[in-house]
Amino acid sequence: MTSYRLHHQRFFYLLLIPTVLVVAFLTIYPTLAVFANSLFEYDYIGGIRTFVGAANYRAIALDAQFIQSATNTALFVLLAASLETGLGLLLALLYQRPFRGRKTAATLAVVPMMLSTMVVSATWRTLFHFDIGPINALLRGMGADPVGWLIDRRIALFSIVIVDVWQWTPFAFIILLAALQTIPKEYMEAARIDGCDPVAVVHRITLPLMRSHLLMVALLRTIDTFRLFSKVYALTGGGPGNATETVSYYIYREAYRYFNLGRAGAASVLAFAVIAVVAAFYLPRLLREES
Amino acid sequence: MNRALTTVVLIAVTAVSLWAGGGAEAEDGTVTLTIAGRDGSFGEAMELATTLYREQNPNVAFEVLQLSGSALFEQTVVDLRSGADSYDVILIDDPNAPQYMAAGWLTDLDAMFAARGGAPDSDFIGPALGVGRYPAGSGTLYALPHVGNVALFAYRTDLFARHNLAAPDRWEQVLAAAEVLTENEPEVSAVLFRGSKGNPIVTGFLPILWSFGGDVLDTQGNVILDSAESVAAVEFFLRLSQYAPAGVANYQSAQVRDALYNGSGAIAIEVWPGWIANLNNPAESAVVDQMAIRAHPGQVRGSSPMIGVWLTAIPESSQNKDAAFDFITFLTSAEVQRRIALETGVPPTRVSVHQDAQLQEQYFWYPAQLDGLQNGVARPRTNHWPEIESTLGEHLQRALIGEISATEAIAAADERIRAIVE
Repeated sequence: MTSYRLHHQRFFYLLLIPTVLVVAFLTIYPTLAVFANSLFEYDYIGGIRTFVGAANYRAIALDAQFIQSATNTALFVLLAASLETGLGLLLALLYQRPFRGRKTAATLAVVPMMLSTMVVSATWRTLFHFDIGPINALLRGMGADPVGWLIDRRIALFSIVIVDVWQWTPFAFIILLAALQTIPKEYMEAARIDGCDPVAVVHRITLPLMRSHLLMVALLRTIDTFRLFSKVYALTGGGPGNATETVSYYIYREAYRYFNLGRAGAASVLAFAVIAVVAAFYLPRLLREES
Repeated sequence: MNRALTTVVLIAVTAVSLWAGGGAEAEDGTVTLTIAGRDGSFGEAMELATTLYREQNPNVAFEVLQLSGSALFEQTVVDLRSGADSYDVILIDDPNAPQYMAAGWLTDLDAMFAARGGAPDSDFIGPALGVGRYPAGSGTLYALPHVGNVALFAYRTDLFARHNLAAPDRWEQVLAAAEVLTENEPEVSAVLFRGSKGNPIVTGFLPILWSFGGDVLDTQGNVILDSAESVAAVEFFLRLSQYAPAGVANYQSAQVRDALYNGSGAIAIEVWPGWIANLNNPAESAVVDQMAIRAHPGQVRGSSPMIGVWLTAIPESSQNKDAAFDFITFLTSAEVQRRIALETGVPPTRVSVHQDAQLQEQYFWYPAQLDGLQNGVARPRTNHWPEIESTLGEHLQRALIGEISATEAIAAADERIRAIVE
């Protein structure tokens, strides 16, 4: 290796140092600190820190509230991420064809994701209100029984799914519409000339060519829905009972209401592990598609 | 290279100077007090007080943070725990006060009064001042009472008169009245309360629990929730909830207040002074002169209204303790409390202000409010109250929505609270 190349490499690594330091300080250090805290009984207010090993992990694994939170989170992720990706794809396919008012409709379709989650939640909280909400007023007007959107423990989580799907389907829609527009039109035309019906075109040409974008949308929505917090906070507070309690809400409460940083740390590490597994599932596929 | 080095050094020196300058008195002698306060009417009250103070003390400037109750708790705990000197004055909800006081985060106000040759005057309502001490009632004074909140009981006098219902002195009478009103007033929800999980449902329930003879902790901090009295209180609460709106499990203060103001509610088992300030204002209320506001009914024990005083304190880490002390004594003075009550509806913590003729005319419930503050019950003094309250609230709501029975709710809450306390 020539001295010029060595010098060049050193310079390259030198340039990377600030970025590595920032990432280490903002990501790696907090992660390690949270992991370290998870091994302690940590009363933050009292400043008392006692090493307890895996006791916090055992405690939350046996905590019915955490188990319920994890179950709710899994159900929410499954429903919301798949609905958002699926509906986003349908909308993108719909918008691919020209129609009158397409631009206006596309602009309106992305408005929900531009709104603050707290504004969205406050609006839906009013819409879902059992006694004075417009949705139940409509149901009553049609002679149907009102629905306990946010107060019926069998329904409340699905109501939050509705709100999330309403807000974030546009995100999937935009990404997938952009992906659709990168597919050369000649492929579709050739398929049609060969006698493929529209369903077959989507199934055999469009979807395979959009695979990497679909995987990316699914990954991003899975990670985002896994972190569900604000909507629960604003719509139900985790209730009724524990019906809408999620892992993020559980961590928030342990950390910032009770200041039990050890237990919050253990729950955070478990959540981190789950996300890492999800990413390990998606990312190799995504990278394979990209290459 | 030299130029770059000079730039870096200059930036560093500037940054250090700015950092070092924080909290210190400005060159022109102006002191800036940073207040971690509440939003809503409490925020308006603080703005008024700081404006009045600046009229007399132009050398003092203010930065007032208006935060929700939970954000205020989180931010002040994190700040004080780290020893930062971000705040000179903070507001504290009284059940959270023991945590701040036990941790040694607050300035000893007895010592500050003594250094000035004074003491907190006897005009403060005893229990309201008492929750500012640690241990409560008898210990060192760490906070002065700023907002005289106390939970009260409200009912529609016109509806009670129409159906020949007596003013309820016992909870049983409330239940009987709710039954009559539900049968005869189909447009009105007989009973209102906040059924949301956590603090709201617990706050409405505690006066019932106490008057039925139950409690969460004894005076030594032992868990005594699982008792026949507590089960009876929950069973009664569930019977009463049958006369509440179907969506009560999601009710917050806004829903209770709206129902009271628009006349669609008959009895509220819990109202706070801040909710009812405009009840007799025809521009906002459909029930002018039709509401009675009084202390809660009793049952096995007498009336047990719940004190919810907001305290004002000076962090030990404040760099402006003298100015902060001067301000909080001004904030809690009779004259300023009177102005605050008149202009913002925020309730005072002094006897003389409650007895002010103009205020009594404007707020007809002031005698009941004073009585409630003087004879009310404070929530248990424990460092674990937020967790205990949340646990009790979760089980109460599960009982409210029919997921578990009263007995199961009390047993499960008791077990969890024992684990928290131990």
